[in-house]
Amino acid sequence: MTRTTGDIDAITLSVLWNSLLSIAEEMGTALRRTAFSEAVREGDDFSTGIFDGRGRLIAQGNFTPGHLGAMPYVIENVLKFHTPESLKPGDAILLNDSFLGGGHFPDFFLTSPVFRDGRLIGYAVTTAHQVDMGGAAPGSQRVQGISEAYQEGLRILPIRIVREGRFDEDLMRMILGNVRVPTKVRGDLMAQLNANHVCAERLNRMYDAYGEDTMARTIDALLDRSERETRAIIAKLPPGRFEFEDYLDDSGPGTNPIKVKVAVTVGDGEVEIDFTGSGGTVQAALNSYINYTRAYGVFATRCLTQANLPNNEGSFRPIKVKAEEGSFFNPRFPAASGGRAAVQIRIFDAVNGAFAKCIPHRAMGAFSHWANPNIGGVDPKTGKPFIMYDMLLGGYGGRSDKDGVEAMSPVMNCSNIPVEVIEHTNPVRIERFELIPDSGGAGTYRGGCGIRKDVRVLADEAVLTLLGDRHKFAPYGVFGGGEAAKGQSIVYSGNEAKELGSKEVAVLKRDDVVSLRTSGAGGYGPASKRDPKRIEQDIADGYVTEEGARRVYGRAE
Amino acid sequence: MIRIAFDIGGTFTDFVLHDAGREVLRVGKIPTTPQHLETAVLEGFDAILAAHEVAPAAVTTLLHATTIATNAILERKGNRTALLTTEGFRDVLIIGRQKRYDTNNMHLDKPAPLIARRHIFEANERVAADGSVVAPLEAASLERAIAALKAGDYEAVAIAFLHAYANPAHETAARRAIEAALPGVAVSVSHEVSPKFREYERTNTTVANAYVRRIVDRYLAKLTDALGRRGFRSSLYIMQSNGGLVTPELAQAFPVRIVESGPAAGVLMCAAVGREEGLEHVLTFDMGGTTAKLGAVDEGEPAITQTFEVDGIDNRRYSGLPLNVPAVELVEIGAGGGSVAVADRGLIKVGPESSGADPGPICYGRGGKRPTITDANLVLGYLDPDWFLGGAMKLDPQSARAGIEAQVARPLGLGVDEAAWGIHSVANSNMERAMRIVSIERGRDPRRYAMVAFGGAGPLHAARLARTLGVPKVIVPVGAGVGSAIGLLTADAKIDVSITRIVAVEAEQIPTIRSIFADLEARTAPDLANLATGGAVRWRRGAYMRYQGQGYEIRVELPLGEIGADFAAVAVAAFETAYKTVYGYADSGARVEAIDWFLVATIAGLGERGATVRQLIGQGGATGSGRTSRRAYFPEAGGFVDAAVVDRYALKPGERVRGPALIEERESTTVLLPGDMAHVTENGHLLIDILGG
Repeated sequence: MTRTTGDIDAITLSVLWNSLLSIAEEMGTALRRTAFSEAVREGDDFSTGIFDGRGRLIAQGNFTPGHLGAMPYVIENVLKFHTPESLKPGDAILLNDSFLGGGHFPDFFLTSPVFRDGRLIGYAVTTAHQVDMGGAAPGSQRVQGISEAYQEGLRILPIRIVREGRFDEDLMRMILGNVRVPTKVRGDLMAQLNANHVCAERLNRMYDAYGEDTMARTIDALLDRSERETRAIIAKLPPGRFEFEDYLDDSGPGTNPIKVKVAVTVGDGEVEIDFTGSGGTVQAALNSYINYTRAYGVFATRCLTQANLPNNEGSFRPIKVKAEEGSFFNPRFPAASGGRAAVQIRIFDAVNGAFAKCIPHRAMGAFSHWANPNIGGVDPKTGKPFIMYDMLLGGYGGRSDKDGVEAMSPVMNCSNIPVEVIEHTNPVRIERFELIPDSGGAGTYRGGCGIRKDVRVLADEAVLTLLGDRHKFAPYGVFGGGEAAKGQSIVYSGNEAKELGSKEVAVLKRDDVVSLRTSGAGGYGPASKRDPKRIEQDIADGYVTEEGARRVYGRAE
Repeated sequence: MIRIAFDIGGTFTDFVLHDAGREVLRVGKIPTTPQHLETAVLEGFDAILAAHEVAPAAVTTLLHATTIATNAILERKGNRTALLTTEGFRDVLIIGRQKRYDTNNMHLDKPAPLIARRHIFEANERVAADGSVVAPLEAASLERAIAALKAGDYEAVAIAFLHAYANPAHETAARRAIEAALPGVAVSVSHEVSPKFREYERTNTTVANAYVRRIVDRYLAKLTDALGRRGFRSSLYIMQSNGGLVTPELAQAFPVRIVESGPAAGVLMCAAVGREEGLEHVLTFDMGGTTAKLGAVDEGEPAITQTFEVDGIDNRRYSGLPLNVPAVELVEIGAGGGSVAVADRGLIKVGPESSGADPGPICYGRGGKRPTITDANLVLGYLDPDWFLGGAMKLDPQSARAGIEAQVARPLGLGVDEAAWGIHSVANSNMERAMRIVSIERGRDPRRYAMVAFGGAGPLHAARLARTLGVPKVIVPVGAGVGSAIGLLTADAKIDVSITRIVAVEAEQIPTIRSIFADLEARTAPDLANLATGGAVRWRRGAYMRYQGQGYEIRVELPLGEIGADFAAVAVAAFETAYKTVYGYADSGARVEAIDWFLVATIAGLGERGATVRQLIGQGGATGSGRTSRRAYFPEAGGFVDAAVVDRYALKPGERVRGPALIEERESTTVLLPGDMAHVTENGHLLIDILGG
C-alpha cells in the first residue's frame, strides 16, 4: 500500500472507505442469509454499523434509515450501562427499549465490542426488526387501545446476553418465554451475532493489513472530511428559517388530528430541524421517540440537501434534530409507540415542505402515504391462525424537472408482497391491485397516483387492523402544484359500504371486501404550465382520465 | 468436422474455427457492423475460411452467441408489444416490486418498464392459487381486448394471467383467439415462458420474450439466408443464458433465454480452461470496456441462477428488470476500461458511468474528455501507447495525464502518478467487493479457487485482485480476447425447464411429485425432438425447497430413476444436507416444502470436449512490440521501476517469468506483480502463482 506521512492521502482514504462499506454490506448478507423472520429476509428490515473504539460511527450498510439514524445514540446509551472498561472479548449487549433504542420494542440492537490483542478497537452493531415482542397484539405494533409501553411486550434495557461468544441461556429463556414466535426471535438473534462476528473478523484483518496508526488516522480523517464536506454543502444553501405545518389524521377513531410542525434553520454550515409546536404525546401506540424522529429528520435532510455521503458520525454532526420533551415527536417513557412506522413518511414530508422554501429544485410534492394493514384470523383450510401482513406503497410527488415516480417505496425502503404469494398463504383473494387514475396531484409536474388493493376475506371471520394516514389531510403540492386525492379504506359487506378511519380496527366476515386506497402524491408547479403533450400522454396511459384533464388542466373537450 | 463459433459483441465480432481432423484452432476479430450484423459475420467467415483454405460447404456446425436480444431491451427498441392481463391487475408491470435500488437516494427513478401502460389490456377471468377457476374467461372482455389489439397494430402480444402457472387454460384459450384474429402476431404466454409464481417477475419475463421475438426472428432469418447464399450448409446453434446451445427454432420461440448469451459462453470457456489445468473450482473475471463480470465454476460446472436482472446498475438489486430465466450466475459492476474516474468530496470514485468505446478514454484521442481506468493504466505504464491492440491503435499518454491531473489529482492534492494509482486501486477495490459477493458471501473460499481472467482489461487487474482475496493462482487463457467464442466450442445442447408447484415434501405427496416430473418431461420432449443431435441425453432434476414459512428457497438436486415410496424422505435429507452447507445448521423435524421443480436435459456431442485451446499454440501471429522493458508503477517496489516486457507468444511452456513484468499479447497485457511467478503451461495458458503480497 501507499506509504503515508502526516495527513492520510486520498487513495488510502478511498480504498479503506470502500473496505469499511464492504464490511457493513457483508454483515448485512450474513444477517439476511441466516435470519428466520420475513421482516428481515424479505423486507430488509435490519441494519448494520461499525463504530470505532471511541464509540464513533464509522460506516453503515445501505439498509433501514430508521435504524441507521438511531444507532449512534443507541451505542451511547449502551455504553452508559456497560462501560468500555467492563466489556470483554466475546461479549454482546442487547437492547430493545423504545426510548433508549429504535423507538419501539421489536427493534433489537445487538452491540459486540471488537478486540485486537486484548484491546478494544471498535464495535460491531446490528439491528433487526423482530416479528414479535409479545404484548397486546401479534407483531407488537397495534395502535388503537394501547396507551402505555407496558402493553407492548417485553422491554429489554441493555443486558449482556452473550459472554465468551455464547448466549446466556437463562436470559434467552426469559426472552423467548415472552414472545409469540420464539423460534424466529432466537434465529434472528443468532443471525445478528453471526453478522457481528463477520465485522470483528474483517476489521481485525484490516488492522493487520494497514496497522493501527494508519487505521486510527484514516478514521479521524474520514470523520473530519465527512463533517467538513457536509458543512460545505450546507453552507452553500440559502440561510434562513423555513417553516412548515401539516396534520396527521388522528391516532385512531374518535381522536384528534396530530399537528406536525417543523422549523428548519439553515446557517453556518449547520441545519437544525425543530419540531417544537407539534402535537403532544398521544394515548395510542403511534408516538415517535426522539431517536426515531432524529433518524428520519436527518435522513430527510441528507436526501434533500444531497449531503448524503458517507454515512458516519462526521456527516451527522452538522444536522441537529429537536422536539419538546413530552411531545409527540419526543415522548417520555412509557409512551406507547409500536405503530410509529406510520409516522416516518410524514417526518420526511414535513422536512421537505420546509426545505421547499430553501432549495426549491430539490423539493417534491408530498408522497402518497403508505398503508400497512394486517388481516388476521383462522384459516378454514388448516384450522391455524394466519396474519396477512401487507404494505401498499404509492407514488412520489412531482419534482422540479420531472413527474413523480409511480409506485415506489417512499422513505423506508420495502418491497411489496406479490399477490400470488399472499393468496398462497392466506385465505383471501386479491380482486384488484392497480393505480388510481386522477389521484395524483396536478401540476407542471404531476404527482404519482395512489394505489388500490381490494381484498376479499375467505375465512369465517377476520380482524382488520389499519395503519395508514392521509384519509383526512391530503398530500400537499408545492409551488402551485395541486394536492392529491385523499386515501380511503372501505369495507364492502353485501350491499353495504362502510368507510373506516386510517388507523381503525374492524371485524370482517366471509366475503367482505376491504378496499384499501392510498392517497396520491402532490404536484409540483402550477397545472396551467403543464406541457400539453404530457397531458395527452397521461390520458393515453390512463393515469389521468379525459374528464380529469378537463377538470384540473382545463383541457378542451 | 469443422466448426466455427462466432460471438457478436457491441464493439467486436469474434470468430474461432476448430478443425478436429487437422487439430487446428484459428481465431479472428473484426469490428461489429451494428446496422447489418451479418455483414461483419460474412466478412469474418471469409477471412477465417480463406486462412484455413476450405469452402463454406466444408463447415459442419456454426455456434453463435449474440447480444441482439439484450440490446433491444437495453435500448428499449423492441417490437411493438402489448400485454393482456387479468382484469384488476393492469399495473403489475408498472408497479413492479417497488423497492429503491439505493435507500439513500429519494430522487432516483425506477427502471423503465418495457412497455407503456397504454399497451396493457385486461380480460375478465380469474384462477385461484390452487389452479381452480374462480371466474371463467369472459368472451366479451376477450373480444374487447382483441379489438384494442387490432387497433394498436402490434407485432407481438404477451399474455400473463394471475396463477397461470397453476392452470394455463385461460392463457391457452386467449392465445388461440388472438392468433386466429391477428395472424402474424407473435404471442407469448406466461405459463410457457416462465411457469413460476410471483406475478411481476413472470409477467416481465413474458413481456420481454414478446418484446424481442420478432427482432430475433428477423435477425436469424437474415443471418441464415445470408449464410445459405454464401454456400454454408452447416447446422446453426445459438447459445442461451444457461450455457447450453439450442436450435434457431427454439431460440426464436423463447428469445428471452438468449439474453446473456455471450457472457454465458465466456464462463464456459473458463470452465474448460479449468478442466484442462486440472482446476475444478474457478472464479471467472471478465473485464471489458464498460463493465466487469464476475462468476464462478464449482466442481467444473458453471454456477446457475434461476433469475437475474437485465439492464441493472452496478449489480444493485431492483435497479434492473428481473427475468425468470436460468442463467450462468454473474455479478456485473460498472468497472471497465472506459469507466470514468472523478474526485468526489475528497474521495476518488470510479464508475459506474462509462465513456464506453466511443468517445472512450481520453487517451484514445476520439474526443473523450473524462479520465478513465484505461487512462490511469496508461499513465502507470501498464499499457504501451504504441502497442495497444498490437499497435493497431495509438494511445496518447500526455492528454491522459492532463485529464487525470485536472480532474482527479489537483482537486485532491495528489500528484498525477499518485492519482492514476488511486484510480487503479479504487477500481480494484470495487471489483474486490463484487468478487467477495461471488466468493465469500456465497460460501466459496477464494483460497480454494483459481481465477481465470479475460477481456481486454481483465489481465491488467487480475493479479492484484487475486492478492487481496487470497486467490493463489491466476490463469490468463490463450485466446482470452475471444473468450466467449472459444467457450461456444465447449458447449453442449441443453434444455432447462421448471415450474412452480408448492407441495409439502412428504410421503403422501408422492403421486403429485410423480406427476410434476412427468409434466416437466413432457415439456422437454418437443424441444429434445427439435434438437435431434443423436447424442446421449444426460438428465438432472431437483427442486427449490425451504422450511415451511421461510421466504427463500435453496436448490436441491434429487435422484433420477423411479420415484419410489422413500422419495420424499430422500428429498428432505438432500435438502437438509444442502441447507447445512449454506447456513451451517438444519432445523431437523420442521416441515419442508418445494416451490419450484426443475428438469435439465444436456446432450453431449455438439461440444467436443476434445477441442482444446492447446491447438492454438504458435498461431498468435503477432510479432510483439519488440521492447524488453518499460517504466511501470509498482508501489511495493518503490514506485516506477523498470519492468520486463515479455512477448507472451514467445514464451515456451515451462519458461518462468518473475514479477514485476508486463506480459503482452495483441488483445491485452498481463501485469505481473513483484514476487509473483508466471509460466506458460503445456496447454498454452499463462499461469501466475500469487506468491508476493
